[in-house]
Amino acid sequence: MKQHPLCSDCEDKITPIDLPIPAGLKKEWSACESRRQFLGRAGKVLGWASLATLFGEASLRHSVFASASDENDLKLPHFAPKAKRAIYLFMSGAPPQVDLFDYKPNLAAQFNADMPASVRGNQQLTGMTAGQARFPVAPAHWPFRQHGKTGTWISDLLPYTARMVDDLTFIKSLNTDAINHEPAIMLINTGNMNAGKPCLGAWLAYGLGSMNDNLPTFVVLQTKTNPKENNQPVSSRLWSSGFLSSEFAGVGLRSVGDPVLYLQDPAGVDRETRRKMLDAVEEINRQTLAEVGDPETNSRIAQYEMAFRMQSSVPELTDLSKEPQSTWDLYGPDAKQPGTFAYNCLLARRMAERGVRFTQIYKRGWDVHDNVVGNLPILCQETDQGCYALVTDLKRRGLLDDTLVIWAGEFGRTVYSQGGLSQENYGRDHHPRCFTAWMAGAGVRPAVAFGETDDYSYNVVKDPVHVRDFNATILHCLGIDHNRFTYEFQGLHQKLTSPVPAFVVQGILA
Amino acid sequence: MLVGVRHLNIVVLAVAIAASVGCSREHISRRLDFNQDVQPILASRCFSCHGPDPEMRKAGLRLDLAEWAMKKREGHPDAIVAGHPEKSELVKRIQSKDPKYLMPQAEHGEAKPMRADEIAILKEWIKQGAVYRPHWAFEVPARPAVPHHSASNGEGENPIDNFIFARLQREGLQPSAEADKPALIRRVTLDLTGLLPTPEEVQAFVSNSSPNAYEKLVDRLLAKPTFGEQRARYWLDYARYADTYGLHFDNSRDIWPYRDYVIQSFNNNKPFDQFAMEQIAGDLMPMKTLDPLIGSGYVRLGVSSNEGGTISEELRVNIARERTEAFGATFMGITVGCAVCHDHKFDPTTQRDFYSLSAFFNNLDEKPFNDDRPVWAPVVRVPKADKAEAYNRVLVRRSELQQRLDTMRLDARNLVTQWLAAKTDPARAVSGDKLIIRLRLDEGTGEELKNSAPNANPATFKTTTMKPEWGETTWLWPDFRMQSSTRVPLGQAGDYEASHAFSAGGWFMFRAAPFHPGSFGTLISKMGSTQHDRGWELAADDNGILSVALVNQAPKEGKPEKKPKKEDEKKDPRKKPTEAKEAFNYPTPQDLSKKDLAPNKPPEQLKAEKEEEKKAKAKEKEEAKKKKPAPVEKPGENIPEVAIRVAAVKPLSLDNAWKHIFFTYDGSGNASGVKIYVDGVQVATHVVKDNLGKATIRTDAPMQLGWRNPDEHPAKDARYQDVRLYARTLAIDEVRRLPFEDYVAEITTQPPAQWTADQRHVINEFYLNNVDPTWRRIKREIAALDAQLDQLSAGGDLTLVSWEKPTVPYAHVLTRGVYTARTERVGADTPHFLPPLPANELRNRLALAKWTVSPDNPLTARVTVNRMWYELFGCGLVETTEDFGIMGQRPSHPQLLDWLAVEFRDNGWNIKHMYKLMVMSATYRQSSKAGSQLAKDPRNVLLSRGPRFRMDAEMVRDIGLQSSGLLVGKIGGPSVKPYQPPSIWEQVSYPTSDTVHYAQEHGDALHRRSLYTYVKRMAPLPNMDAFDAPTRDVVCTRRQRTDTPLQALVTMNDVQWVEAARGVAERVIRETGPDPEQRINRMGMILLARVPPPQMAVVLEKSFDEMQKHYAANPKDAHSLVNLGEKRRDTSIREPELAAWTMIASEMLNLDETINK
Repeated sequence: MKQHPLCSDCEDKITPIDLPIPAGLKKEWSACESRRQFLGRAGKVLGWASLATLFGEASLRHSVFASASDENDLKLPHFAPKAKRAIYLFMSGAPPQVDLFDYKPNLAAQFNADMPASVRGNQQLTGMTAGQARFPVAPAHWPFRQHGKTGTWISDLLPYTARMVDDLTFIKSLNTDAINHEPAIMLINTGNMNAGKPCLGAWLAYGLGSMNDNLPTFVVLQTKTNPKENNQPVSSRLWSSGFLSSEFAGVGLRSVGDPVLYLQDPAGVDRETRRKMLDAVEEINRQTLAEVGDPETNSRIAQYEMAFRMQSSVPELTDLSKEPQSTWDLYGPDAKQPGTFAYNCLLARRMAERGVRFTQIYKRGWDVHDNVVGNLPILCQETDQGCYALVTDLKRRGLLDDTLVIWAGEFGRTVYSQGGLSQENYGRDHHPRCFTAWMAGAGVRPAVAFGETDDYSYNVVKDPVHVRDFNATILHCLGIDHNRFTYEFQGLHQKLTSPVPAFVVQGILA
Repeated sequence: MLVGVRHLNIVVLAVAIAASVGCSREHISRRLDFNQDVQPILASRCFSCHGPDPEMRKAGLRLDLAEWAMKKREGHPDAIVAGHPEKSELVKRIQSKDPKYLMPQAEHGEAKPMRADEIAILKEWIKQGAVYRPHWAFEVPARPAVPHHSASNGEGENPIDNFIFARLQREGLQPSAEADKPALIRRVTLDLTGLLPTPEEVQAFVSNSSPNAYEKLVDRLLAKPTFGEQRARYWLDYARYADTYGLHFDNSRDIWPYRDYVIQSFNNNKPFDQFAMEQIAGDLMPMKTLDPLIGSGYVRLGVSSNEGGTISEELRVNIARERTEAFGATFMGITVGCAVCHDHKFDPTTQRDFYSLSAFFNNLDEKPFNDDRPVWAPVVRVPKADKAEAYNRVLVRRSELQQRLDTMRLDARNLVTQWLAAKTDPARAVSGDKLIIRLRLDEGTGEELKNSAPNANPATFKTTTMKPEWGETTWLWPDFRMQSSTRVPLGQAGDYEASHAFSAGGWFMFRAAPFHPGSFGTLISKMGSTQHDRGWELAADDNGILSVALVNQAPKEGKPEKKPKKEDEKKDPRKKPTEAKEAFNYPTPQDLSKKDLAPNKPPEQLKAEKEEEKKAKAKEKEEAKKKKPAPVEKPGENIPEVAIRVAAVKPLSLDNAWKHIFFTYDGSGNASGVKIYVDGVQVATHVVKDNLGKATIRTDAPMQLGWRNPDEHPAKDARYQDVRLYARTLAIDEVRRLPFEDYVAEITTQPPAQWTADQRHVINEFYLNNVDPTWRRIKREIAALDAQLDQLSAGGDLTLVSWEKPTVPYAHVLTRGVYTARTERVGADTPHFLPPLPANELRNRLALAKWTVSPDNPLTARVTVNRMWYELFGCGLVETTEDFGIMGQRPSHPQLLDWLAVEFRDNGWNIKHMYKLMVMSATYRQSSKAGSQLAKDPRNVLLSRGPRFRMDAEMVRDIGLQSSGLLVGKIGGPSVKPYQPPSIWEQVSYPTSDTVHYAQEHGDALHRRSLYTYVKRMAPLPNMDAFDAPTRDVVCTRRQRTDTPLQALVTMNDVQWVEAARGVAERVIRETGPDPEQRINRMGMILLARVPPPQMAVVLEKSFDEMQKHYAANPKDAHSLVNLGEKRRDTSIREPELAAWTMIASEMLNLDETINK
């Protein structure tokens, strides 16, 4: 959470004027400073970022790790953004589109019929169903009904989502390259199946910076797992900053222990004592700065201050005692339990209010290989109201006007049954060729269903949207041209949507 | 305008630099240097469309090579006309005002126009003749002359300083004065040991005025065992060491002996060439101890997976790719991974280069899946210390014998020639009498399969439903794999009465995926499941038990010999059947117990969670009972079974190896007439059913591979070669010859000149293993030694190692890196733009290892000394330590880099020598105080002052532990689990992962050095993560060095740090009198190696006053604070006093000066 060069508030006390530098440079600094003020970019003076201005960026051009060398000159946003922030509800494990959103009325009549080989084509199957002798069609177990002015078909499993369909933008033709969780979840989050690339949130933190000095720019929330469900792992590399500076990595906001790791002062140290301790540290660090003249010392002084402020601002964020009854009515009783999906949605709204740039909520458990009938209602019950509450809450507070909400998993699930199929139960294997996601809020056109799949919800037949396109579109909503938003690493202009061309989905833009 | 002027200045500066680099010839000295000045611009601005990658090349223009750049192109004006910028299209384009004509252009989005300084350099370069030079890093370094500078006095100089100071002089800068002695001893001790000097060591050094005091100090530090720990800490980043395998379950894996090997290697000052070779190919080197083999664990440090749905071929390709990229990063310092999908856009690395390099890592004797185990083959068991000597004696003998085998294999061509010439013991073919079907399956493409039997009828067959996959792996020849739905109907061949003798079988390889139903299944069948399974079949069941059935009738679902399977076992791919004994192809240990091989269990869960889970499971069971899916198919009809069923006693293993499986039947109608063979040797069987008699087994179901007609019992994704059906009983001796000898007899009818590489390999291996008496004798002796090694290593720790297969390494060039898109097959080779491999060696990892450290290799020495420099100075001479390619940074001091590289290489790759040389330099010893040079050298690239930067995560924590007296000095052993906040692992892990719960350890484990802390790849330790410790997913040769509030939270609030602060407090109270000034001075000596200067002391004393008052007034707070952590506090000290000093210690631990080196 190093202060971003584009951030406009928070002035630090120390400037390079206090550094042991020649008088001529001090003079030049003053000139730069007034120019920066004039441009409205009076950023806090931090370490090398300040010297970059002082000595001309060319001298720092070779710094790969500096946040913005001239090769990576950000000039962000590229155009007026519709969304200032985003909240990403990540459904890890892959929800079955055919049971929830992608309504296929023709399938009921085909119960247990063999799926035509022509539909399956030459697709590689996972190791789990590759050995199956048959691929029998398993229609959705639950009825679909039409909702809203748009008459959108939604499964009965999602009564709350059904209420807000007119606010949502559905993409039914999302598709990906990977057929297993580990590579697929990396691909949609970081644009690459292999580890080492920054995730969407890190790119946003790097590119757009913070809107709140006292909270992280990119926050990750984990939903407490339900042991009944098949909880595929998530790993910290999903919110890592890859080759970007690690300050842009997601900060976990936790429901167990300290909300931010190591946030709480140790027992026996009250706020006043901490303040006094920090005052002493700062005073000595200023002596060090004067003695040694290392600009990084200046940065350290600032970071200790920010740590102190975070110690107050984060507890304030997670203190829900002042939420009115209407909140609990909207989010439901679950929201009072730290770690539930509804609780995380409520926190996401509170962070949106406080200017957190990007919040990602992980909900695991959607990997319904078998027992779809047993597990899917539980999963929907856990998430449905929270999603509705979040969108509705943002809307009534006016925040949906500049917040983008995203709901997606890493791939879809097969229409054919994995394992035994009966009237009572069935399973679904991984399916990369099509799945459904939705968005709501700033930047996207509400009440749209984009893209179509075939009669088996197996292949995309109209308007395919690759996960790279999906990411390009999210960036677009936030005022970023994904092709121009690059970072030079290992000799390449790396970007979130590399390396194959990606395209913004114009059809869903507001 | 102002901007223009500034850039112009830079051009002048650049030319001036270039001028001063040159030596005596004045007119050349003003010339631009292609590598330094021009290539970076061309590379970053032009190469993506006009570089080495032909796919992306526009207008046929290639600017990275002179002959291309100046070539005439039809219909295009000349891009570069040497000496004439005004005639050069390139110059016109980059200066154009017309946005359509202007270069560079980008395919997507807008390209930035070139800057004025870039344009000026390109023009000047063309004017000077557009001279190209090969990329600097790909030319073998020669030792440059050591320059002079104004302060040179010749005698006793450190050449490093000559290079650095001469450059400073040219830039108009002065070096800084030498750091004061306390600063110096603190810096060098931290650099060489990762720990602080003790106050006593500081005092001794400060008061020692002898001129060689510093050198003595350096020698002492280099000899300390902590030196190896400090170097290992860096190397483990370079080698991507971790304690879990990284994907999906992310279970633990045992490879920590490799970590200890690294520490010991540095402490023993093992020459770097040996160190590197052992890691790349230790398993192929002569061994006196297990060190080389343990070191070869390097290859296997990368991530691996056992995710249920993973496709094994994809995983195999990914693993080889990961190792190749790691090798490129660790040893070559180039980003070879870019060439996975296409020729590198900037470097000359082609896709072919990449896959040729990957072939070296594609030939390990392992299967791609790890079975979620802590160890998976190949592994070695490290003998316990008391047995090591006896073990090593046997090992030496074994190694000698192995060397003899290797020599023979290298000489196989000659041996085979002699054997064939002698005609004494020629290979004998198996008679083709009554051979009905022979599917060699060597077509390599298409859907038509040729029947190679004599007078074959029909002559061809066609696969249906889905195309087969050809040539993924090679055995006798590139193989044939059936896709999940491929069918191979073979018509009515094999339609016999039970009184008819016949034999069938071939070469098979089963899928090596994690277990799921269908891993095994039908191999060859002429059986109709719609006709009560009438017919015959060779099959393996889900446990790998081979069986032969001749059936007249059977219940539909009927396999009465099999216990009914539990419903959930069938459904859940993660539940495995009882593990068959693993067949190992590597030598030792062979005595792995089930316990060794079992996946670790998840550690104890929290009680409440367990209860909850229990309840959930019970409920689920109930629900499942209610909703139990009715089977889709009807239950079997109740008819009696009439059949012969014979099954093998021992199961086959799922070990990714080819097996020759064959059966013969004598037409007797009795089970005793069935024999089953594996690899030409009859296996023990038992009779399951024997009541066929003369009942018919004829059926109109077609004969098939991999399926029972029409769609039952598949062996999906199995591989096949040389499948045969004989209408007679083959004799035991004939079956013995079937796997190889029959084929060798066929090959030897051709002149050797016509043999393919695969045929050559088959003959070599056949000759060695079956004909040559010496080979077989040595093999027997080795087997006996292996048994001894097993005994002598009993009870030792297991660690993953490399082990080479006897096959010839190869890989396929994959279009866009897609694992199914195989094109050209390539052998193992090094990149074409680097020196070639010697011709007379086997192309395996050992050849690669030798090549890596050969004097002709331009990269290894440079890359390695550069990383040493990075460790000490905070930034490499080449800043991009990971990329010495064209897009990497140019060296700040190219000649110094080359001098150091040559010094390293020519001095026996002596690691300690290099570190000593560097820390002895005046450059290193400069004061780090930034004065007037800051403006000219803001990032200290020119080294106008000493290094100063925030220490790495491990060092920061280690000095906290050390200063508090808590540090436990033990070296090596299994990784430990110190304090960690709750729910870090739980939040991300798979519920049955063995790393789902963090079981924090106690006692010494809390206070070991940080390089022993357990590294879980999916959830790094947060207090290390905050300080930029890498996750070890990939090679990291350069850490980020951020500064965030999260770091402050760690060092203020982490219990580890609170405990450490209290430890420092107790220590100064114990070690000094009651005077606060003394205690503050002592803290300064412990942490900063100096007595705090007065102004600092004033702050601390004032703070102490406040804290003392506060805790005297709030004894409860004092009590809470001083009792944090598991280490008991010193009860002889009053709590309020201890609390106050704890806070002062915490202040000092949090100082910028403390956490900076």
